[in-house]
Amino acid sequence: MDLKTYILRRLALMLFVLFGIIVITFIVSHVIPADPIGAILGPQAPPELVEKVRKEWGFDKPLPEQFVDYIVNLLQGNLGKSIRTNKPVAEDLMKFFPATIELATAAMIVAIVIGIPLGIISAVKKDKWPDHISRIFALMGVSMPVFWLGLILLFVLYYQLGIFPGPGRLDPGIEAPPRITGILTLDSLITGNFEAFANAVWHLMLPSFVLGYYASASITRITRTSLLEVMTQDFIRTARAKGLSERVVLFRHALRNALIPTTTVIGMAYGSLLEGAILTETIFAWPGLGRYSTGAFLSVDFLAVMGSTLLIAVIYSVANLVVDILYAFLDPRIRYA
Amino acid sequence: MSGKDWIIVIVLLIVGLLIGYFAAGPGKTTTVTVTQTSVKTVTVTQTAGAPPAPPTTTKTTTTQPKAQMKTPADTLIIAMDTSDAVSMDPARAYEFSSCFVVNQLYDKLVDFELPDLVNVKPEVAEKWEVSEDGKVWTFHIRKGIKFASGNPLTADDVVYSLQRVIKLKQTASWVLTQFVSTPEQIEKIDDYTVRITLDKPVAPSFFLATLTFTTSAVVDKQVVEAHAKNGDMGSDWMTDHSAGSGPFILEKWDREAEIVLKANPYYWKPGQPAVKRVIIKHVPEPTDQLLLIKKGDVDIATDLTAEQVKQVEGTPGINVIKVERTHIVYLGMNVAVKPLDKEEVRDAIRYCIDYDSIINDILLGAAIKWQTVIPKGLLGANPKTPYKKDVAKAKELLAKAGVPNGFTIELTTPPTYPQIDIATKIQADLAECGIKVKIVQMTQSEMYEKYRKQGLQLVLAGWGSDYPDPDNNAKAFGDYRVKQLAWRNSWYDDHAADLAEKAAVEFDNNKRKQMYLELTDYILDHGPYAILYQTLAQHVARDYVKNYLPDPTFFLEDLSKVSKAGGS
Repeated sequence: MDLKTYILRRLALMLFVLFGIIVITFIVSHVIPADPIGAILGPQAPPELVEKVRKEWGFDKPLPEQFVDYIVNLLQGNLGKSIRTNKPVAEDLMKFFPATIELATAAMIVAIVIGIPLGIISAVKKDKWPDHISRIFALMGVSMPVFWLGLILLFVLYYQLGIFPGPGRLDPGIEAPPRITGILTLDSLITGNFEAFANAVWHLMLPSFVLGYYASASITRITRTSLLEVMTQDFIRTARAKGLSERVVLFRHALRNALIPTTTVIGMAYGSLLEGAILTETIFAWPGLGRYSTGAFLSVDFLAVMGSTLLIAVIYSVANLVVDILYAFLDPRIRYA
Repeated sequence: MSGKDWIIVIVLLIVGLLIGYFAAGPGKTTTVTVTQTSVKTVTVTQTAGAPPAPPTTTKTTTTQPKAQMKTPADTLIIAMDTSDAVSMDPARAYEFSSCFVVNQLYDKLVDFELPDLVNVKPEVAEKWEVSEDGKVWTFHIRKGIKFASGNPLTADDVVYSLQRVIKLKQTASWVLTQFVSTPEQIEKIDDYTVRITLDKPVAPSFFLATLTFTTSAVVDKQVVEAHAKNGDMGSDWMTDHSAGSGPFILEKWDREAEIVLKANPYYWKPGQPAVKRVIIKHVPEPTDQLLLIKKGDVDIATDLTAEQVKQVEGTPGINVIKVERTHIVYLGMNVAVKPLDKEEVRDAIRYCIDYDSIINDILLGAAIKWQTVIPKGLLGANPKTPYKKDVAKAKELLAKAGVPNGFTIELTTPPTYPQIDIATKIQADLAECGIKVKIVQMTQSEMYEKYRKQGLQLVLAGWGSDYPDPDNNAKAFGDYRVKQLAWRNSWYDDHAADLAEKAAVEFDNNKRKQMYLELTDYILDHGPYAILYQTLAQHVARDYVKNYLPDPTFFLEDLSKVSKAGGS
């Protein structure tokens, strides 16, 4: 099978997965005994008003009919309207997703910068104390709750030392660049607003460290394991026997081969970061997808919940697909099947 | 690198970090403590009827204040949780933060001037008359008011705005349509006179109080109509734009990030607003708000937890401002559930509860003791607090009711703080009187769905006044015919219902006040509630912020006079 057919087949399969997700989220969100209209109108709303608004949103129709309506709209690219924001869900997602892309990408860079070197150190110094230290460091990353680490970093680096800015994406005095992509760092670069760029990067530091540190643990571990495995193989022995320096053996020969599984882990981690990190986004007042979807969940905003879930499902499936393709691309021995 | 190199690198790193910490840390902290000094706790008390008492200020320390202002002097920065905001259209806004913002953007016909919640003041209408029968109101519009667009505000805009609320039938429209059911009842007499004909007569103070709600904000007809599409009367556009004559203009609303207001150059009150810009930063995490206000990166923080408020009280440069909100938390007792049908049993429950402990130990002082259904601050508020924990008396009442050994009952509560803690406390208190309470947790929306269908036994819930008129509470708690709290607790008491209805149409304010005192007394003894407390708004502001008063309701906040004086 060639690459094109493979991708097409995977995309077709993805449609089934997505349909399944739509069915499940639809059923779950509609059978829970909570009332979205009540949640929006508040406990004091008169019953007639509750009924009227329920009718307006079509929640009085039978469930199957509501489901068919939803699917028909979806096929036309219409995700429906959010009860909470009174705007089309698609428009909302376009608005909130870029902030998450920005944060997730920055976090991924942090994770790679921390994760791969630590993994290499661990492998090279296996069972010696640098290995122990980097493994403990990685372990701390996964085991420390992000909200705790986030608050501690804010307390020490923002409040106590004043090195980093507080929560938010920009200082109040800084004029935000006009919205082009919604990614502040990118927009400020495009418009040549370097003050905003520097400020946005500065604001990005702490949240991306918190998220990236968390994600780096799995990268460290997989790099270490696969590097150790590669180092025992025959071609490494041959390279050493040829008299190559240890540096060349490590970086030219071993690392390139060891990074294949690491790529998989990075791809999947990036996929999950793009879902929006609810806690990190809340603590750093970061207006991203995580915050949008939490708000939607809390106010039982059905269509927004389903729209966000669908977007996350698409991201995950695409990330999966990309990783699979990359995998075969990096290692020609792997065939699409 | 060899093993030794590694050791050197890591040791250097750790040493570097430590040096960095100690070099930057203590130095910075010292400057902050030296420059900021004055500490105050301001408590504002509302007195019904009488002119508002000036804020009572307790100064903890007073030295030469030299508060260092980190934020721009002409920009007020507020940290607030604005997750609930839905729309900035006055015909739609009904949530705390949307109404907070809408009130800065628009003028209303009449208004309250905080902290006075009893005497209505002129705003767009400079004077008004009401016919003998109380049905026909004539409002005389103030001349010379201009919208932010530069257009003059006339009777056309007033008529359009009120009709728009009735036609759009949005969430908050009932505040107006309870008196005026059709758009035709609002008429223009001339360019500066508007006539409103009510469906039936109501107490003048009652109607005027409802006009202070943001639904009666006056919008700029020309601007709104220019943005109307598909017959929405501009509602879509108004979600995140403003067309008002208020002190501020909505510059931008970046959902989940910030709301930015800028001064309206045409604002009619001279010298106002005192700041050029207001930035309401959406900060959902209270700990963040605490760090921001302590650091001085925001001027006001509105959502600190009671524990955090306790923590900042006494911090140099920070004021804690407390105001009683028109919000009451109560225990509802469904009279349809035996033995709650017996008045002695309900009275016994009221004597089982340790109110002081709930206020001081659970809420950490973020409430005041209040036991009647009209909150402190409003007309007819009744300050009686006869109930306190008295197990012997409660047992005696239970014996009289024929249940000397108590009974078992369900208490429904939302699974959130502080409700869970309060429910647990009530459970323990009632157990002392021999009543076994089973706590049932439900999400707010699920709970209210059941409650609305009379499907709960004991319920822990709250009631906030939509507008500062006693009717809002008197009918909800007293009149089962309006199908609110009295009905939800199956308390079909005609005496209370009649009294609430009569008070709503009483023209004489003094008589009206007496009627509410009688009604609240009656509900106190016979009603299906144990009123637990009235909540306190506890806002925190830097000491250079002047004239800031937290709003006891949720739509009367007026930022036009708030200023930032450089450390005076």
